[in-house]
Amino acid sequence: MDLYFWVFASMSVLAGLFTIAAKDALPSAMGLLTVFIALAALYLHLHAPLIAIFQVAIYAGAILILVVFVIMLLMAPGERLAAIQANVSYRGFGALLGLCLIGLVVVGIKGVSDIVSMKALPEGFGAPSMFGDLFFRDFLLHFEVVSVLLLVALIGGIYLCKKKL
Amino acid sequence: MDDWLIAIIKVVCIWVWVLLIAVVMTWVERRGAALIQDRPGPNRAGPWGLFQPLADGIKLFTKEEIIPTKAQKFLYIMGPLLFSLPAFSAYAVVPFGDKIILGGKEIILQVSDVNIGFLYILAIGSMGVYGVILGGWGSTNKYSVLGGLRSTAQMVSYEVPLGLALLAIVFVYGTFSLRDISLAQQGTFLGFLPNWGIFKQPLGFILFIVAAYAEANRVPFDLPEAESEIVSGYHTEYGSMRLGLYLFGEYVNLVTISGIIVALYFGSWHMPYIDLGAYLGPISWGVVSFCIFFLKVSFFLWLFVWVRWTLPRFRYDQIMGLGWRGLIPLALFNIFITALFIQLTV
Repeated sequence: MDLYFWVFASMSVLAGLFTIAAKDALPSAMGLLTVFIALAALYLHLHAPLIAIFQVAIYAGAILILVVFVIMLLMAPGERLAAIQANVSYRGFGALLGLCLIGLVVVGIKGVSDIVSMKALPEGFGAPSMFGDLFFRDFLLHFEVVSVLLLVALIGGIYLCKKKL
Repeated sequence: MDDWLIAIIKVVCIWVWVLLIAVVMTWVERRGAALIQDRPGPNRAGPWGLFQPLADGIKLFTKEEIIPTKAQKFLYIMGPLLFSLPAFSAYAVVPFGDKIILGGKEIILQVSDVNIGFLYILAIGSMGVYGVILGGWGSTNKYSVLGGLRSTAQMVSYEVPLGLALLAIVFVYGTFSLRDISLAQQGTFLGFLPNWGIFKQPLGFILFIVAAYAEANRVPFDLPEAESEIVSGYHTEYGSMRLGLYLFGEYVNLVTISGIIVALYFGSWHMPYIDLGAYLGPISWGVVSFCIFFLKVSFFLWLFVWVRWTLPRFRYDQIMGLGWRGLIPLALFNIFITALFIQLTV
């Protein structure tokens, strides 16, 4: 029994449940924050401090703040989510997306037999330089393809915002 | 066992020290304001009003704690805690001196020299904004919500130039560890300049200090609490020690930011031109390096006060314009120049 793992794993699952069950938008976002932090703690446990830091700095520190920004812009404190939560089409889409995600995880987990046979971590595992090697040498093409995706999203965002092009 | 003991002593000492500076800073802020505005300032409690922070503390502690009826209680209580906790934990990776050798044991003057040093500071620093958001939203007050809203937008916008300025520093020194960066700033550069970060990254320093002021919500970037527009912004509904935690957390943030500025750009504990470490014994050098570091930090603490009482506040659209149209292109340019320089020289 790995106590550290169980504490943070259950924390992330419970916070995730709270995120989708909360009646208010901002507490729901705070639930998501707790999920991110618990996951970061798990990454630390897996000897990946850099990923843990990125998890906190990027997901909790930037993306979630944008989400909170939108919440604060569109809602008032005390305003309930009930009207949105009652919308059946949202729920249907949510279920579809969730199923897709679970499907992806199942496909990914097929390589679980690698995990069963334990092996020692290479020297310097999780160090920034190793991270950089993976990104900019071994998987450079994949990384750049993702950046094209971001560029498309950026252009799309600008297109949607501009009234006249 | 020894290592644990040393670690605990370091944590406690540094914690108390940072708190003490923060307390003194509240006094410096008010006396500095008075100095700049040509009035006496607080001068009744003790010599030069030095006991004023104590009196303020007693006042804040003994005031009645009020929770507004319409506030969302849990969020309202969590706000100040979430604001001050990151402030207190960010200092863990900032060095405060070189090292002391006690009984053959080398003790570095830094709570923890982690490999990912200032990424940790970036991550922790971005957590502080949740305290502002929770406070603003939990108060159920339109001014508070506006303050929280401004804070989120400002934080996201200025984190980008801050990160990019730090990235250029990583290019120059090739490490994330604040101690390694400090050690690399010894000696001179081009023969006559001290080997400090500011001479290698002048533009980076300006970008960093501007973005850091914005991240710390200090004038001229204190839009989340602009008292001439939205009462006091996110802490309008707060009083007693909860308000105290917000105000106090801000000063702790100032200490941390000044420490980072000194460690990255102003040669940490190194004196320009003279390597005192070569002349002094191991223990006295530890003390002296601590003093040099602290003197530099004090200057930047004073700069915060100086700027606050000299500059007016920006308008909101000016803040966003400066962040996105001014700082981010400049930061990208800075990275480009730094990378080009390194590519051509190394």
